[in-house]
Amino acid sequence: MSQPVQQSQTEIIVTGFGGQGIILAGRILGMAASLGDKKESTLVQAYGPESRGGACNAQVIISNTPIHYPYVNTPDILIAMSQAGYDKFVTALADDSVLLIDEDLVRLQQAPCDHFAIPATRMAENLGNKMMANIIMLGFCTAVTGAVSSRAAQVTIADSVPRGTSERNIEAFGKGFDYGLSTLKGRRKVAAGQAGALAS
Amino acid sequence: MANKTDDKTLNILLFLCNWGAHAAFLTLQDQLRPIPHEIRMVRVPCAGRIDRAMLLKAFAQGADGVALVGCEPGTCRYGSGSANSLQNTDDVQRILDIMGLGRERLCFGAFLPEESEELLSFLQNFADEINVLGPAGIEAVPVISALNADDLHQELRQLVAAYDIHACQDCGKCTSACPLALIGKPFSPRAIASAVITGGIHSPGVQENVWSCLTCGLCYDRCPSAVNFPAFIKELRHLYRHTALPGQEVHGGFFHSLMRSMSSAAITPRRWGGLPDEIRTDPESPILFFGGCAPYYDIFFGKHSRPQTNKILIDSLRLLNFFDVAPRLLTDERCCGHDLLWSGDKKNFERLARINVERLNGLGIETVITTCPECYMTLHTTYADEGLELKFKVVHLYDFLEEQLDKGAVDFEPFDQVITFQDSCRLGRLEGKVDLPRKLLKRLQPARFVEMKEAAGASICCGNCAWTGCDGYSKALQVRRLEQAHATGSDLLVTSCPKCQLHLACAMEDPFRREQLEIELMDLTSIIAQTIRWKG
Ligand code: SF4
Ligand code: SF4
Ligand code: SF4
Repeated sequence: MSQPVQQSQTEIIVTGFGGQGIILAGRILGMAASLGDKKESTLVQAYGPESRGGACNAQVIISNTPIHYPYVNTPDILIAMSQAGYDKFVTALADDSVLLIDEDLVRLQQAPCDHFAIPATRMAENLGNKMMANIIMLGFCTAVTGAVSSRAAQVTIADSVPRGTSERNIEAFGKGFDYGLSTLKGRRKVAAGQAGALAS
Repeated sequence: MANKTDDKTLNILLFLCNWGAHAAFLTLQDQLRPIPHEIRMVRVPCAGRIDRAMLLKAFAQGADGVALVGCEPGTCRYGSGSANSLQNTDDVQRILDIMGLGRERLCFGAFLPEESEELLSFLQNFADEINVLGPAGIEAVPVISALNADDLHQELRQLVAAYDIHACQDCGKCTSACPLALIGKPFSPRAIASAVITGGIHSPGVQENVWSCLTCGLCYDRCPSAVNFPAFIKELRHLYRHTALPGQEVHGGFFHSLMRSMSSAAITPRRWGGLPDEIRTDPESPILFFGGCAPYYDIFFGKHSRPQTNKILIDSLRLLNFFDVAPRLLTDERCCGHDLLWSGDKKNFERLARINVERLNGLGIETVITTCPECYMTLHTTYADEGLELKFKVVHLYDFLEEQLDKGAVDFEPFDQVITFQDSCRLGRLEGKVDLPRKLLKRLQPARFVEMKEAAGASICCGNCAWTGCDGYSKALQVRRLEQAHATGSDLLVTSCPKCQLHLACAMEDPFRREQLEIELMDLTSIIAQTIRWKG
């Protein structure tokens, strides 16, 4: 008799406005999980009436057992890259969800759960291409949540972005990833009472 | 004072005050009392006149022990001699400790004319102690052979060719940029260059001016023919050492004696004592932090002001720790040799550089991080230029910090001061890192950051380099710089080199203009350490 498999399922919503590469980010997450990490995944893209320039979202489920229902009701991870997107999904979050935001685009009133912020769009601008904010956000998400492995994400990015831009996109992913690791480290330090460099 | 000969006798130098103590010594001589034979007496007008430079120079020139003997406090003919002697002894003892010679090698005693027996036992005890300690280990200064006129001429011709001095188009851009010329000193790099070509190093105006050049590199920066004047000056100074002409060493040559002593392999410095408990270091780390001479500076200048250059090193360590690097430290760290090289003492520089490179290469480390711009330039660039092969990378702390900060998740606490920035000539113009400190400055959260009138690549000097040729014009230059700092409306002048801090603070000592000139000085490293925060 085989051992019962530990059920582990991560439900993710990526939200923002059209043109930010929100759907692409969702697709990379799903493909990285299934092709790279050999898990099951599903992707639902929401092109509502809002899609042209307005809010849009991608719903991704990653699981190590088959997935029967592809829609996300209560996201484990919400990635919000616009205020409208955040406002729409914030109520769906549970206490133990994780919220990731672009800190320049989303103003948090009172986060209903643990949250992490990154100036992804600003960082992308500094890299010379605002369009890479989604990839920076993916790096950040990978470091903070471990939803997919860094290796799988990078391979998938290289295959998914326009030819000739993969190096720069991998660099952008690395920036977001480093920022995520730094953020986690900062949390540990602050929790340990070592926020600054001088002995307090 | 002669350097040690091959007999095993140690050298103990006795500086003896002409007044009370000398009478006691005479009595010992008259009565044929057994004065230890290691002792060589120098009679001085007042023990208080033997300054710290002379005390240290005695060791640099081969003394194994130095006794300073004066009069009991209160009996000094000049009033303050005894107090001065005590202060000088204490400072030099602290320096000797760090150098690894040990404070025991220097002692002070005070005697009345009739205390000859007390003086005798004092000298005997001291001689016994030095004999137990053994030789101090400072080697003789390598003899620099005097060049005859033909050789000198030949060397000079080679220098002129090597530095392409003939490429000079006589355009005068160098002189019109040189801060010394602009402050009114009758000084012109172009004129020095042509005087050397036509009349050699002894032509009028060359010799004193060669020691005045700040080697700041502004002229080189402006020269359309890329005449590397500061490097040429460096070599000219070396040539002067082959003649009987001394350099114009400031502070009595204190720092030069210090550095020369460190070029002896037999001494083992004892650096990094008294670090705060919370600093984490790791003797196995592949990253080594190289400090530099700050602890010596703080002791030496502590007499005048309260310099805080050692704090820069401690704050550097704190920042490395902040980013989870517990670096290795070299407890026998020596001076990098920058000032020896730039004051013409190439022989001792080469000796010191070789010791340093062998020591560091032998550690199996991957990286040396340093904050001091002079250590950085010397380790990173000069050693390689001198043909030494380094088996590790040399990284400036700012580069390390910028790389870490770029990863993000770190903030800076705002502070309510307007700041301006004094560039280091070594880091900025000579090593080409003008933007690097500015990237860091832009991350800080001061009330405002305002550049001085002459900033970045055009920045003017703090007024001295390599402890040579400081004069009234240097002071005038510093006053102009401080006025520029005030003109920005800043209340904090940020520095990036310990020497900028020392020299600019020195100019503020002017008793007549103190009020106008005074401005708070703080090193960039220390400001970062004070305000950096994990976002969390
Ligand atoms: S700037 Fe260069 S070319 Fe012009 S006078 Fe000076 S050394 Fe000569
Ligand atoms: S290096 Fe500086 S001080 Fe020396 S001549 Fe050039 S500009 Fe003047
Ligand atoms: S500026 Fe002051 S501290 Fe600097 S060399 Fe001149 S006298 Fe010495």
